[in-house]
Amino acid sequence: MDSAPARYAIRIRGHLGEAVLSAFPALVPQHLGADTVLTGALDRSALYGVLAEVEALGLELVEMNQINPQPESPESGDSRPR
Amino acid sequence: MTTISAPAGSGKTSLLRAWADRPGQPHRVAIVHVRRDEQDAQLFWLAVLGAVRQAPGTIGGADPPTATPEFNGPAMTDRVLSEFADQPDRVILVIDDLHELNSPDALAELTRLLTNLPGNVHAVLATRRDLPLRLQQLRLSGELAEIRAADLRFSERETRDLLEASGITLSPAALALLHRRTEGWAAGLRLAAISLAHHPDPERFVEEFSGSDRTVAEYLMAEMLERQPEEVQQLLLRTSLPDRVNGELADLLTGRPGSERILLALEDANAFVISLDPERAWFRYHHLFADLLRLELRRALPEEVPVLHRRAAEWFIQHDQVVDAIRHAQAAGDWPGAARLLADNSFSLTLDGQLQTVDALLRAFPRGAGGDYPELALVHAVVDLFVRGRLDEAAAHLAVAATCAEAAPPDRQRRLRVAVASLKLSLARRRGHFAGVAEQAKFLASPVTGESHEDIALGSDLRAVALLSLGTVEAWFLALPGAERHLREGAVLAREIGRPYLEVACLAQLGFASMAGPFATTRRRCHEAIALADRYGWGTDPVVAPALLTLAGNLVLTGEFDEAERWLQRTEQALQTDTGPDIRLPVHIVTGLLHAGRRRHREALEEFSAAEHLQSQLEGSHALASQVTGWMLATQARGGQLGEARASLVALDDERASSGEIGVARAVICLAEGNPATALAAVQNVLDGTAPVVGYVTVVEAQLLAGLAHRELGDQRAANQAAERALGLAESDHLILPFVLTGSAELLEAVPRHETAHAALLADILDVVHGSSLAAKDHAPSAPTEELSPTELRVLRYLPTNLSRVEIARELSVSVNTVNTHVRSIYAKLQARDRSSAVQRARELRLLSAGRMR
Repeated sequence: MDSAPARYAIRIRGHLGEAVLSAFPALVPQHLGADTVLTGALDRSALYGVLAEVEALGLELVEMNQINPQPESPESGDSRPR
Repeated sequence: MTTISAPAGSGKTSLLRAWADRPGQPHRVAIVHVRRDEQDAQLFWLAVLGAVRQAPGTIGGADPPTATPEFNGPAMTDRVLSEFADQPDRVILVIDDLHELNSPDALAELTRLLTNLPGNVHAVLATRRDLPLRLQQLRLSGELAEIRAADLRFSERETRDLLEASGITLSPAALALLHRRTEGWAAGLRLAAISLAHHPDPERFVEEFSGSDRTVAEYLMAEMLERQPEEVQQLLLRTSLPDRVNGELADLLTGRPGSERILLALEDANAFVISLDPERAWFRYHHLFADLLRLELRRALPEEVPVLHRRAAEWFIQHDQVVDAIRHAQAAGDWPGAARLLADNSFSLTLDGQLQTVDALLRAFPRGAGGDYPELALVHAVVDLFVRGRLDEAAAHLAVAATCAEAAPPDRQRRLRVAVASLKLSLARRRGHFAGVAEQAKFLASPVTGESHEDIALGSDLRAVALLSLGTVEAWFLALPGAERHLREGAVLAREIGRPYLEVACLAQLGFASMAGPFATTRRRCHEAIALADRYGWGTDPVVAPALLTLAGNLVLTGEFDEAERWLQRTEQALQTDTGPDIRLPVHIVTGLLHAGRRRHREALEEFSAAEHLQSQLEGSHALASQVTGWMLATQARGGQLGEARASLVALDDERASSGEIGVARAVICLAEGNPATALAAVQNVLDGTAPVVGYVTVVEAQLLAGLAHRELGDQRAANQAAERALGLAESDHLILPFVLTGSAELLEAVPRHETAHAALLADILDVVHGSSLAAKDHAPSAPTEELSPTELRVLRYLPTNLSRVEIARELSVSVNTVNTHVRSIYAKLQARDRSSAVQRARELRLLSAGRMR
């Protein structure tokens, strides 16, 4: 199981106010059009914690991405064409 | 079954309430609201059970006293199912906020409940997300209706109706705008309706709202709060922390009177406030609403949060709702206060069967807090002693706790001392330390005295614990009259002081204590204890284990192995985490006897050895010690380990070696060595009554071994006499096991049919010896009987004779298996548990009269 934190971008419909943002202290908010993108490094349980908050606060989750994946080291899985 | 799966604020709860409250409801509705982040499977099932029974006043301290130290999900599910089965009418079971249930065990058990619901029950589940309930089968068979977010979304028309019901009229354009902005989301519409109700310019409100980029909930929540009078705003924010509030608590948290009126008005205005009881004294907020309020509280008044938790804690203390008080003290970060509270109350919570909660509260302290708060030593002692059965750890914690109690201020000292004294008694009891218990229970000779109610209550608790402990160790040392008296007194006192958990404990030990009496009495007492435990939902709790186990052991003695195994399994369920030697030891004994009765020598030996091994963890040697050793040696010999058996025999001390049980074991070894004359000598002092014996089972074994020895020595007459004496002793209790253990089949078969006065018992014994367990006897004798088939009637004709099943098979020229099948069927149809009762029943029904013979 991968336990190292990874960076995630979590996009939520609407602009989040101060109170709701306080529920996500580990994430940095950014407005993107009419949405809010929350970005930060999360390990598995932190990620599910964030998703649970999104659910609990009745927020609408638009999308969720892992960003800046670790550059693949040459030894691990060679996918170049031979 | 119906599931409602939709996000927060979709209107699930409102829909359920409106539906359940509709007039002319022909069904009984049982509603369960799952508490926030419920990880305690026990509390969940208690809530379900409470709702099904429609226990009034299920709020807070009025919770029915059914929490138990250890809890057993499967048993609880069965309990709920049987409650349903008892309901004559249609019942609708509603479980709201099921997503809050964070216990995989509870979810798995819930699946079992749902797939086994009787026909008169309809279940409705509401949840924010799809849950891992395995309901495919119900879905496939068309028994599952699903309501999802899209079904709950308000249409434009419904939006208009909703607003009109609140006296709000919007232009069609504004209505469409509002509907689009909220996407028909119920919580958004309700929040909007509250703000719109007295808005001077509703159209502008909608316009501004739809022009905003804020999330629907946050925007409308802020609007709604802003439009409330200041006192309402303060109330909503400051009362958002507890899971529930009443007017008084709300007044305390807001610092001003009049909260109840506001709460009632809010509920009437449909403003996310829900009353929890018919009297409308307690309220809770809609979860989404409460979450948003808590965030707003933390943003707007962060310094108030710990203050409010502390005030709530104080209020709950004053109202004897200790568990809530401790939770708020912990949330306030008041660890010393929380530790003190938990220490002060852990023993009382234990006596009410709430050990699981104590364990959970203890675990909520920050790691290492034990060192910072030595008072928690008492709580650790409670958990080690009653939950895990770790006696050495409990003793170490108890020593620290005793020092703390002495250093405590006078107002707390008395209750801490009582807790420590009770735990010391309980520890000595669990160690089987007779002298220790007797010494500590000396105070029983003087009456309870005290200056205050609390003093007297504490004194009574301690007294009941002392009676339980004393009676229990007395039973262990066969001081049976004292044991019975003390356990009875303990049960009576426990009932008087409202501690049903202790009453069950006393009655269960009373079952164990009466094992030397007639079997019928033992069984009745065990059943009484189990019935009382069942009534409180403690049917598979360690508290009732002694009764479950005694019953199982008793059934093994009468050869009812299958039934015994069922009770033994229930005992194991009750003891899931409890490793205490005092209860594990007799579990090994009974399990070993069951294996021995089924001729599984290796398994039996493992159990007896385990029992023997555990003796070293108990203080002194208890009543059954020589019995355990004797059975272990005999099993070794029967399993062919003669060398080991001899070696163990030599290693025994003189007192043990002179007991009747060891005499019996020696005889078994001698017979196995081909030395009948020495075997006869070995049981001589049991037969003439000079050797001490645990019970008459030993004497029956001795008679049979003597019979076997006589037989090998060629004295058939003496052999028959010994067999007849054994049968005579065994007759009244229908005791069978010793005949099986000693392998007395040939001895009994050689008894001439006309010479025995115990033909029916003899036939039953031979049945068991030939490998069939006697069937259970719990049945209604007056129930109608199914017609027997002609072949069954032919077999039935042989049942009053002394012929074994093998012989019956030979007479009828069929296989033994065929006879076994017919006999099982006959027992079932006649509702008989054994050969003698089958014969009796057949006589009553005149099935044995000549006219019926073919």
